[in-house]
Amino acid sequence: MDYNITEIGKLKEIKDNYLDKMNNYKYKILVCSGAGCISSNCHEVKNVLLEALEKNNLKEKVYTIETGCIGTCDIGPVIVINPEGVFYTNVSSEDVYKIVEEHLVKGNIIKEKTYFDIKSRKNIPYLKDIPYFAQQVKIALKNCGNIDYSSLEEYISVDGYLAIANVLNNDSQEDVINKIKNSGLRGRGGAGFPVGIKWEAGMKAKSDQKYIVCNADEGDPGAFMDRSILEGDPHNIIEGMMIGGYSIGASKGYVYIRAEYPLAVERLGLAIDKARNSGILGNNIFGSSFSFDLEIRIGAGAFVCGEETALMASVEGKRGEPKQKPPFPFQKGLFEKPTIINNVESFANIVPIILNGSDWFSQYGTKKSKGTKVFALAGDIVNTGIVEIPMGVTLGEVIFNIGGGIPKGKHFKAAQTGGPSGGCITKEYLNTPIDYDSLTKLGAIMGSGGLISMDEDTCMVDMARFFMEFVQEESCGKCVPCRLGTKRMLEILERITKGEGKIGDIELLEELGSMIKETAVCGLGQTAPNPVLSTIKYFREEYEEHIINNHCDAGVCSEMFLSPCQNACPADVNVPGYISLIAAGRVRDAYNLIRKDNPFPAICGRVCTHPCESKCRRMQLDESLSIVNLKRYAADYILKSEEPYMDLVFPKKGKKVAIVGAGPSGLTCAYYLARLGYEVDVYEEQPIAGGVLAFGIPEYRLPKDILAKEIKLIENVGVKIHLNIEVGKDIQFEELKNDYNSIYIATGTQFSRKINIPGEDLSNVYYGLDFLKDVNINGDFKLKGTVAVIGGGSTAMDAARVAVRLGADKVIVLYRRNLEDMPADVIEIKEGIEEGITIHTMVSPTQFIGEEKLEEIECVDMKLSDFGSDGRRKTIPIKGSEFKIKVDMVIPAVSQYSDLPFIDKNEVETTRWGTFVTSKDTLMTNIEGVFAGGDVARGSDVVITAIADGKNAARAIDKYLGGNGILNTGEEIEIPKTSEESDILEHERFSMKYLDPEDRKKCFGEVALGFHKLNAIAESMRCLRCDRRS
Amino acid sequence: MSKLKDCQCKKESKEEKFLRIEKIIDDHKGKEGSLIQILHLSQGIYGYLPLELQKFISLKADIPLSEISGIVTFYSFFSTEPRGEYTISVCLGTACYVRGGKKIIDKLTELLEINVGSTTSDGKFTLEVVRCIGACGLAPAIKINDEVLKQVNPDKLKKILEKYY
Repeated sequence: MDYNITEIGKLKEIKDNYLDKMNNYKYKILVCSGAGCISSNCHEVKNVLLEALEKNNLKEKVYTIETGCIGTCDIGPVIVINPEGVFYTNVSSEDVYKIVEEHLVKGNIIKEKTYFDIKSRKNIPYLKDIPYFAQQVKIALKNCGNIDYSSLEEYISVDGYLAIANVLNNDSQEDVINKIKNSGLRGRGGAGFPVGIKWEAGMKAKSDQKYIVCNADEGDPGAFMDRSILEGDPHNIIEGMMIGGYSIGASKGYVYIRAEYPLAVERLGLAIDKARNSGILGNNIFGSSFSFDLEIRIGAGAFVCGEETALMASVEGKRGEPKQKPPFPFQKGLFEKPTIINNVESFANIVPIILNGSDWFSQYGTKKSKGTKVFALAGDIVNTGIVEIPMGVTLGEVIFNIGGGIPKGKHFKAAQTGGPSGGCITKEYLNTPIDYDSLTKLGAIMGSGGLISMDEDTCMVDMARFFMEFVQEESCGKCVPCRLGTKRMLEILERITKGEGKIGDIELLEELGSMIKETAVCGLGQTAPNPVLSTIKYFREEYEEHIINNHCDAGVCSEMFLSPCQNACPADVNVPGYISLIAAGRVRDAYNLIRKDNPFPAICGRVCTHPCESKCRRMQLDESLSIVNLKRYAADYILKSEEPYMDLVFPKKGKKVAIVGAGPSGLTCAYYLARLGYEVDVYEEQPIAGGVLAFGIPEYRLPKDILAKEIKLIENVGVKIHLNIEVGKDIQFEELKNDYNSIYIATGTQFSRKINIPGEDLSNVYYGLDFLKDVNINGDFKLKGTVAVIGGGSTAMDAARVAVRLGADKVIVLYRRNLEDMPADVIEIKEGIEEGITIHTMVSPTQFIGEEKLEEIECVDMKLSDFGSDGRRKTIPIKGSEFKIKVDMVIPAVSQYSDLPFIDKNEVETTRWGTFVTSKDTLMTNIEGVFAGGDVARGSDVVITAIADGKNAARAIDKYLGGNGILNTGEEIEIPKTSEESDILEHERFSMKYLDPEDRKKCFGEVALGFHKLNAIAESMRCLRCDRRS
Repeated sequence: MSKLKDCQCKKESKEEKFLRIEKIIDDHKGKEGSLIQILHLSQGIYGYLPLELQKFISLKADIPLSEISGIVTFYSFFSTEPRGEYTISVCLGTACYVRGGKKIIDKLTELLEINVGSTTSDGKFTLEVVRCIGACGLAPAIKINDEVLKQVNPDKLKKILEKYY
């Protein structure tokens, strides 16, 4: 039905009638039909809902509407049951009947179908309680997702068109402009120019005809706020434009919508027709002398048309090429007439400001950025969708609280704002308040509101290349700097991502970038270099890594590596190669292939942190391959067979190398050097070889006989291990320097760091690594009572699980952050809990209490505070929350450090953490011929990096001693081709056997029992063979 | 507002299509700056904008052919080549790119044996890349004609395509 709305009173009448009608209904159901929910088939859900209501005779009691985007795009279809505000997600047609019959008929909320909060792992039924919504303030989006976008009555029922009616009745043009000026509203399209000032210029321009234009060419990839507003609340934009039109004196408006948004075109078109047919658009609106009409113009796929002068050319039906400013659009715009252009979100703020007043609006936000900003959250983030937050909220809060953090346990790397004109914000800046000026200071921009979160798997060089490709393609070609400059920059970036980068490329990019910024004609060109310059600013090392080492750490630039898993392995093991060999039944070849790059397959098959698995492509389909267990399978199979094993060794070179420390790094280096023909002596102060593998890692994770077997294979190639010899005491470092041609130091980090609280000198305070060492080497002692372990890393979990096995009645772990922040492997934590360990998170010890012997620990509860430079939330004590725990023993295991007692501190350069300073490429210290690697050079790290360092040191030492730096890794092993397998079947990991928790608590027997042959072969066949690219 | 894409009905003859286009041109006479809208609607009827059709529009709308050609080649939405029955648009907006849009392209070029921008020899599919369809919350997304498919897994594309045969 069309109305004839000629005066303000008519609005009240329509509103009252509508609300009366609504009072007859018990429930109102909102079915989200934003773009996300449409693609999840919300229309079918709505049809089934209507059918179910009919069948249950509820049509008179329940009113159903379709709304615009509610904001949670990836859990659709979603519906809201009002008045309670119960939020159902991922609703299927079957669910609909259940909801109708249970909820609407019987009044029982079906909790398991309501919103699931990943963080708390709970269903939250009510909208108001969901953290994603609770922290938002909706001004521009106030109707979006709340009202039927297609209903004029419903819009009027929330005071729609009241603002324009009031303005026309009471306000002069200046009055309106002052209200907008006082509100502090700045343009939401990105640049942030004050809206009121722009309108004032429009009002003052003299002309018989003026235009007001809404820029809905939301071209920034990653932004979809404007789309949601147009689709969810089109009347609000019409009304905002009417108010703008009135205040500047325009009688005609254009909405320029990009052609990629057909739904927005359709819905806004229908709204305009309704407004026009009801007399809201047209002549003498609300009985005043103001006449206004609107027309939609559709773009045709040109990013540059978001630039205002290009946009106007396109509205005129011409090629969308930008023009030089001045003249500015307010002087000479569309069809040569004064024109004011604002973007959709700016217009969406106008009605709320007029209805609620400038002061109300300016209470939100920061000093210079008032109100709220709508962001489209996307990329690597748990909650993707549309959010509206007050200006000044920090980036960290948006990503981690509202956005729910990064999925799949990955780490946050950077956020990108402002699309191809913007830049990135890194984890060091998570405490930055989001407003125009703070973001500009960081080299990013507010932009129109696309906020893309990126995790560790994003390559920043590739990201820069992506944006450059985008602007290069979208450059209109009118001005030379943009046309040729972006092309040149793209060529350089493409070269770098292909592994063909040259020294000087980074500087060239910077030079080109600043030149384009200064000389391009329009905003597109002037901002085009931003993503490149910003990534160079924050990730220069990543560029250098690509150019100098041909390595892409994120595993994106695929021309530089064989497969993502191999690329992720610090030791560069050919993972798909050995997995395909296992699948082919060639287990010995598989084992040998691993040993080409890593002499410890059986050990790494048990204790490696397997960075390879976190990059496994199979994860996109079902689950990553169990690479580490396959490695173990191959190694165990070979070690069990009694066949003699012989590595090929080159003839003796007559040169000697000394290695200090028989840990994984030292032994790896020794192994590869010995195979090259060097005479190698390894000095170890402990009575057993293996370093941390022998004394740090408990038997139940790494059995001693396995370790001994692989060390034996190293000794077989001629390496001599001298146990119980401490350098600096039993043999002097100077002697080594005189007797050997080169030295490799790999002594690790063996000293436990103190926590620095009172009472650490009490007896029964036993530091983590010392505890493990004593148990492993001296063996045989018993514990009883309560043992508390402090820390969240793998030493802490090892100590706790060992304490269980030694008979402690109760073992608790105290950790100052949340469970998901614990650095220990998730499997370790899971198995520990299975064995009865209690983990207290968010607590920190403040003192150890007791007379001589420890009796109690005083702890304090911690709470989350702002973000640390590592991107994790810091924790701070809650005052007055101190409490005491009675314990019989405490094992602090917070971190370890290295000490280098045998070298004169004045002679060698060390870092402030006590580690060696070494050359990044050669691992040589500042002492000629003395190399260092593993934890003693990098601080506490994992076994596989120590092995990688050992191997790289062997290369470097060989070069230093006159060799070519190429290791002797034996004969080539032919790797099977992929079979012409057609379909990939989804299948999760094949299972492995584990010792029962009750049994393993009592002994040090190995927990994981390894793959059965059949399962190993099946598991290896899950490999997608990313190494075989056509 | 008329719909951007018209009925894909194949029975209509070329002459009939030209007649409908002529009517559209007549409807827009006198409306300032409506050439882009005319081209949108014409492409909706004819499927693409060959030179012959551009000449026809030039004649009927009294706009120089050079201007029409300038616009057709400037905007990426206009095509001078015939399109497949289904256009697969792979979104390479930032969000889709971050979530692996490139892998979808690789897989599709392999499956369809065509490059981006081309049409399969049986006239079934045209493969193209688009810059953000505003479905960032559903990344990686592709569009097959007007239907948006969300969170597309490259390993499942084969199954998805099979539905269209």
